[in-house]
Amino acid sequence: MALKNFTKMEYGSADEIVFGDAKYPLSYGLGLKVGAGFVSPEINFAPRPGTEKTVERLVKEYVDYITTDIMNRAVTLGFPSLQLENEWIHQMGNDPKKYAAPVVAGQKAVMKKFNEEYGVACAIRHTCADPRLAEMGLREGMDKTHMYPEKTIESFEVAAENGADVLSVETMGGKEVADYAVVRQDIRGWLFGIGYLGSIDMAWIWPQIVDIAKKNKIVPGGDTNCAGANTSMFMAGGYLDKDIPRTFSAVTRMIASARTLVAIEAGATGPDKDCGYEGPVLKAISGRPSAQEGKGAQDAHADLMGNLMAHTCDLWSNESVEYHSEFGGSSVQCWLGVIGYEAALMNAAKQLKQDKILRDLYVASDRFRCPEGFCICFDNAYQIGQAIVDNGKSYYLRSKAAGLKAAELVQASNDKGRLKLSKQEKDTLNKILTDLNSLPDEEGKFVDWALKEYKNVPAFNPKNYEL
Amino acid sequence: MLDFDAINADKILTRYDIKMESSEKPETIAARILPKDPALKKVAEDVMNLKGKLIEDDVKAALKSNAPEIVIQDGLLKGMDVVSELYGRGIYYLPHVMVAADAFDKGMKLAEGAMSTEKKTKGTAVMHAAEGDPHDIGKNIAAVLLKSNGYKVIDLGRDVLVDTVVDSVLKNKPNFVTGTALMTTTMSAFPRITAKLAENDVHLPFIGAGGAVNREFVESFDMGVYAVAAKDGPHLAAKIVDGWSWHRLREKWDDIIAGKI
Repeated sequence: MALKNFTKMEYGSADEIVFGDAKYPLSYGLGLKVGAGFVSPEINFAPRPGTEKTVERLVKEYVDYITTDIMNRAVTLGFPSLQLENEWIHQMGNDPKKYAAPVVAGQKAVMKKFNEEYGVACAIRHTCADPRLAEMGLREGMDKTHMYPEKTIESFEVAAENGADVLSVETMGGKEVADYAVVRQDIRGWLFGIGYLGSIDMAWIWPQIVDIAKKNKIVPGGDTNCAGANTSMFMAGGYLDKDIPRTFSAVTRMIASARTLVAIEAGATGPDKDCGYEGPVLKAISGRPSAQEGKGAQDAHADLMGNLMAHTCDLWSNESVEYHSEFGGSSVQCWLGVIGYEAALMNAAKQLKQDKILRDLYVASDRFRCPEGFCICFDNAYQIGQAIVDNGKSYYLRSKAAGLKAAELVQASNDKGRLKLSKQEKDTLNKILTDLNSLPDEEGKFVDWALKEYKNVPAFNPKNYEL
Repeated sequence: MLDFDAINADKILTRYDIKMESSEKPETIAARILPKDPALKKVAEDVMNLKGKLIEDDVKAALKSNAPEIVIQDGLLKGMDVVSELYGRGIYYLPHVMVAADAFDKGMKLAEGAMSTEKKTKGTAVMHAAEGDPHDIGKNIAAVLLKSNGYKVIDLGRDVLVDTVVDSVLKNKPNFVTGTALMTTTMSAFPRITAKLAENDVHLPFIGAGGAVNREFVESFDMGVYAVAAKDGPHLAAKIVDGWSWHRLREKWDDIIAGKI
């Protein structure tokens, strides 16, 4: 099915983009409004290892412990609204009816009880697993061993039918080529893997998710390039890490934004996924609500843009925390406190009409901490979004344009002495510019070249992408 | 919108990586490690300089005047020694190591083909990503580092069943097994593997690693030895082939990982 590609920006200027307001706000779940002048915390969690051994134990962990703890703490601290996110574990996706259905239904029942008793507005996002393996086949009928493509689609149906308010996923398309490219610092390979192949896979899976959501009258949220750009970002790491230069991870992230946009083009309405740090670009282009994470996600990982990531969010997330005890309560209660109070600060700023000042302060704190954060600042994200929509009709050209614009913005700031770069980061940036500029202007020529260049990448099978 | 360029970023963040950039030139470091023989030096430099396109011709040239074992030991492996040193000092990044390893592999295939007997390896590892886990980039990096340090790797891939790992260990009799997992609920396969190995009276180090995995978990079951990152693999492997048991690896773990022993 041909999707309608974005060819213009939904916002007239970068300055219009701010946390808590989206051009197309949403209302769903148990009275939750998102992007409608208010920021809510989105709390995510993982069960303790071993609880997956039986369905009964898993349901107890998710429903009686995690969900109940969260709702209790939300009321205790007076948070008017919140969203929960359940990122499915493998066992749930591998046997959705047996493992996932009772969890989904049980969580919703607890939330309804608190909503009825206290009026707390809430909703739950179910992020179904995508266990598909490129070497076994990404499309239905290809993986005869595990039936993972079929189970992936079935997961959305089970989630939707049993109480999910929002459907999301972290799809894996193109990862086999991106993994190969990221450890070789090969930006052309990454462009092919995520910008092109990843987009094709998104255009296959997302119309199906949107149909399931519509059928069940729930929200098709969005995707994230967690499998690609987050791998790149975590490898780039902080100032002691030497795995990937941060200029490389910055450009991979911006290429990923063109790929993650495909979900919205297929009918996803947002809120997109919190761990998609490409979110500010997506919001700038589409006007859809955005979930983000940063300093409140230190339970899951460190990043170099902890404050900055809050500046365009509509849901503020902790990424994920394993359920366990802390001095202040269970881990989900403690981290709900962290993100809930940050949301309260943002909402106070909105009421007092100081939200753009707070937005700018979030940005100012981290703008020059790393190239990736620099690219995601709303003014730069807007320019990168513009580069994408100017080339909107070709997955290849728009991904390439996003990467080139990001590299040019980073270089210009470095030339001005603002964004500092190490020698390795500079060398890498120069090579990225040379490599991207050497690519053809026609999608067909690029694809012909890439299919030859990457034909021996382990697990890469063009048939997964109908090539 | 505020004027962001007006901020003095140095007052709110410190670029420690730029402050600590190595002042020693890579060429100076390499000169201490590279061989003197011109043909072998060229091979080692091809690895060091990531010259995958030149290495086959240069290995062929070196084989004319040197035994294959010498080309491997004093050419290819010396090149990887330089790469490891530059990586350890933060001058090279991981992609340098990976591309150098690609060149190394090409050279090894030629040199091994010229040998009259099978090349001796330092030891054998069976590697896998846990059942239900599709994330394997860390395992792949660790495999490259082990191979380029002279170990034979039997890579079972990702989302590997417990029984497949056990069968491979029984069949191939490796020095150690590795398992990686990104999710807390897939790493629970690790103790099931070691329990089945124990049932078969096999007791060997099981190196557990990955995003969701931590030392406490890996040391909660027999045979488990934790690795923080892929680069720890060769350090742990060296001790294992020296005969260290999993008990002793755990006991001296901090010193091994810190590179003190």
